[in-house]
Amino acid sequence: MQTLHTRREWLWKTAAALSGAYGADASLGRAGAPTAPVALARCKTYDPAELLPTMRKMFDQLGGLGRLVKGKTVAIKINLTGSPTYRLGYLPLEDTHYTHPHVIAAAAHLMAQAGARRIRLLESPWSTADPVEEYLLRANWEPRDILAAAPNVEFENTNYLGTAKKYSRLAVPFGGYVFPAFDLNHSYADCDVFVSLTKMKEHATAGITLSMKNCFGLTPCTIYGTGAGIDEPSETPKGGRTTVHAGDRQPSRSAPPEKDPRSPRRDTWRVPRTVVDLVAARPVDLAIVEGIKTMTGGEGPWVDGDLKPVSPGLILAGLNPVTTDAVAMAVMGFDPMADRGTPPFERCDSTLKLAEEAGIGTRDLQRIEVAGASIAEAMFDFAAMRRQRRAAPPPPFRVRG
Amino acid sequence: MTAPWTPMRWPDAWKDPATLALLKGTAIDHLQIGTGSELSAVRSRAAQDGFHVSQPGAPPAGVEIVKGQWPGVKVERRGGGGVSAGPTGNPWVDSNGWAIRLAAALHPDSAVWVDAAPAGNALVTAASYLIAVADSAAYGGRWIISLDQPLAVSLAAGKSDALAVWKRLAAAAGFFAAHKAWPAYAPMAVVGVVSDFTGDNEFFSRELLNLLARAGQHCRILPKDRITDTSFLSLRAAIYADGEPPAPALRQQILAFVAAGGMLITVPQWGEVSGTPIENERNPRYSLRALEKGKVAVAVAGPDDPYLWANESVVLVSHRYDLVRFWNSGAAGSFCTVAPDGKQVVVHLLFYANRGPDSAAVRIAGRYRLARAYTAGHPADTKVEWVPQTGAVEIHLPPVPQYVALELDI
Repeated sequence: MQTLHTRREWLWKTAAALSGAYGADASLGRAGAPTAPVALARCKTYDPAELLPTMRKMFDQLGGLGRLVKGKTVAIKINLTGSPTYRLGYLPLEDTHYTHPHVIAAAAHLMAQAGARRIRLLESPWSTADPVEEYLLRANWEPRDILAAAPNVEFENTNYLGTAKKYSRLAVPFGGYVFPAFDLNHSYADCDVFVSLTKMKEHATAGITLSMKNCFGLTPCTIYGTGAGIDEPSETPKGGRTTVHAGDRQPSRSAPPEKDPRSPRRDTWRVPRTVVDLVAARPVDLAIVEGIKTMTGGEGPWVDGDLKPVSPGLILAGLNPVTTDAVAMAVMGFDPMADRGTPPFERCDSTLKLAEEAGIGTRDLQRIEVAGASIAEAMFDFAAMRRQRRAAPPPPFRVRG
Repeated sequence: MTAPWTPMRWPDAWKDPATLALLKGTAIDHLQIGTGSELSAVRSRAAQDGFHVSQPGAPPAGVEIVKGQWPGVKVERRGGGGVSAGPTGNPWVDSNGWAIRLAAALHPDSAVWVDAAPAGNALVTAASYLIAVADSAAYGGRWIISLDQPLAVSLAAGKSDALAVWKRLAAAAGFFAAHKAWPAYAPMAVVGVVSDFTGDNEFFSRELLNLLARAGQHCRILPKDRITDTSFLSLRAAIYADGEPPAPALRQQILAFVAAGGMLITVPQWGEVSGTPIENERNPRYSLRALEKGKVAVAVAGPDDPYLWANESVVLVSHRYDLVRFWNSGAAGSFCTVAPDGKQVVVHLLFYANRGPDSAAVRIAGRYRLARAYTAGHPADTKVEWVPQTGAVEIHLPPVPQYVALELDI
C-alpha cells in the first residue's frame, strides 16, 4: 500500500499529522461522524409515471421534503460534466454521464409541491459563462421542460461571478485539508437548502463520483480554473480545473490560497481532499444519486478505457452525503470502507474516508439505516465489471486513415 | 453562384507536357500555368487537349479570386504534432468558407476560386488535400488545386504513394464537379450580417463573419447596398456593427424586420432606439429593449472584439435556433443550402482534424423525409442512422472522412 504514495506525500502526511494540522483528529472524527438514513429505490425508466412516485416515496422515507424545503430557497447542484458536444457513442448525454433532465424536473416538481419558495438549479458548465439554458440546448435538451416543472425554477451558471456583485467566501469549518475557504458564486451562500443531485459513476481520478464529488464543480473556473486571473478572478471561465487537479498554480490572489503549497501535487491526493473541503464549506442537506442509466469505466466519454453504457435502474437519496455515497458505493458492489489501494480507490484516496475523518458523516453501513430496497436487492455490480475490465488485455491500437 | 470549372495551378516543376496524362479522367478542366518559356510546350499541349488555360493571378472573366488560408486545424510538421489553440482552448481552425460566401455576396454572378497553397511548415497529407478541396467546394467555390512541392516532384517521378494521394485528391474534386447544381443552392441562415464590408468596417465585419462561422452560426451576408424586401426573410436576427449609423432607408428596413419579430444586435453608433427595456433579460455588455414584436440589443461599447461579438451574438439569438448541432465531431463546420425549388436541402459537414470522426452525430433543424449521405470520392451513398426529433432530425454517422454531404428531402 505504501508504494502507492510518493515519498513526498508520505512525508507531508506524517508531518501534518504530527503537527495536528491533518484535518480533524481522524479517530475522533470517525467515531463521532454523524449518520442519517438513506432511501434506496429501484426505478427502471425515466418515465415520469414511474420516476415521480418513486422519488416521492424516497423523500417520504426520509421524513418528507416539506420538513426540509417548505418556505425555503433550495439550490440544487446538478451534474453536467464535460462539454455538451461529447457523447459516449451516439447516446444522449443524460443516458451516460449527465444528471437526467427528468430527474432534475421531478426533484424540482416535488420540492415545489412540498412548499419550496424558490428552486435554483446550479451548475458550472464547461468553459463558459453562457446561461445554463444555452448549455442545455447544446446538449439537445429543452430547458423549458425543466423550468416548467414548477413555479419559481431558475438556472444559474456558477462557473463565474454570475448575477452577484462579488463572490461569497465559504470557510471550511474543520480547517480544510487543502483549502481553508473558497470563493464561490453567491448561489451557494444565498440558499437555505443545498441539494447535490448527481449521476452514479466511477471516476478516473477519484475512483467514484457521487453526491460529494459532484461538489467539485462548485469552484468557479474564473478563480480555480486553467484561465483564472492571477490577482483577481477572470471575467469568464476558460478550460477546466486543472489548477485544482494538479496544483500547478494557486487560485486568483483575491481568494484564499491553499493551506500548504508544499503539499502533494498529485490529483489522486488533491481531488478527494478538495471535495471534502468543499462539502464541509457548503454542507449538503439532501443528496440524490441517480443511477437509472449511466456508464461504467469512468465519469465521461473522454476517459480512456472500455466505457460501457449500463442501466442499473437505481436511485438513492439521503440527508447526509457521506452516508448516501456509502450506500451508493455498496449497491455498486464496492466496499465503502475501502481505502487507497482497494477498488475503486486503487490509485487515489477515498473521499468517503476523508469526509468521515473530517466528521461530515459515517461510511460504516452498520451505522446507516437504509429505507426502501435493500442493498442486496438493488445491487448492480460495477465492481465486478471493473475487475473484468482491468483483467482484460488492452484493446489493440487502432489507426484509421 | 456557379462553379463551371475545376481549376488547378500547374506546378512549375512539371515541365514535361507528358505530365498532362496525370489529369486524364479527372474533373480538372482549367489550368493556371506559369508564363515562363520552359512551360510553353505544356501550355500548348494543354490547350490542344481541351483544357482552359490561364495565367496564375489572371483568372478568366467571371471568376473572383479569394486569397485564402490553407484550411484545417493547424498541425506543425515538427515539434510533436503541435496543434494551435484558439481563445477557448479548442483547436484553431482555418477555413475559407466565409470568404467565399462574402465574395459570392459581393459578386453574385461570378464563380469564386480560392488561392491557398499549403503553408510552408504545414504537414500536408491526403486528408489535408481532401479538406482543401471540400472547404472551398462545400461553400460553392473551388480551390485552385495547388500541390506542395514534394508531392509534385514525387508525382512527376511516378511514385506510388504520391499517386495514391493524387487519386484521392482527384476523386474529391470529381465528386464536387459531379454535383454541379449544388453551388446554385441558396444558403440557409439564422443571422444576417449587414455591412459595407469595406473601409473602416472591413476588418471587423470580415472577422465577424469568420468567427461566426467558427462559432457554428449560419449567416446570410447582406451588403448594405443590396438590401431588398426579402433580405431578412426567415432570419432570426440581424447584426449591424458598422462604425456609422445606417442610412434612413436601411434603418427602416431593419426596424421593419424587428417589428415583425426579429432581433437586431447593434452598436451605439446605430443611434437612438425606441421600445422598452427588458428587465428580466440582463446582459452586462448589451442593453436589451423590446420593440413591437422583436428585440434590439445595443452593445454598451462600440465594436471592439469580433471574437466576443460572434460568441455573444450566438447566445443572444439562442442555440435554440441552431441549424446544425454536432456531437463527437472534433473541429467541425457546416453549411446548409436549399435547392432553388425548395424541395431539397443539402448540408455540407466538414471535419477539420487530420482524420474523420468515428461516431459523430449531427442534428439538423427542420422536418425532412429522407437522407442520403455522401462522402467525397465515394459515388455510392453512405448508410446513416436516422432519428427523428421534434422539429429536427438527428443523424448518426458511421466512421467517415473529413467531408460528408447530407441530402435531405423536404
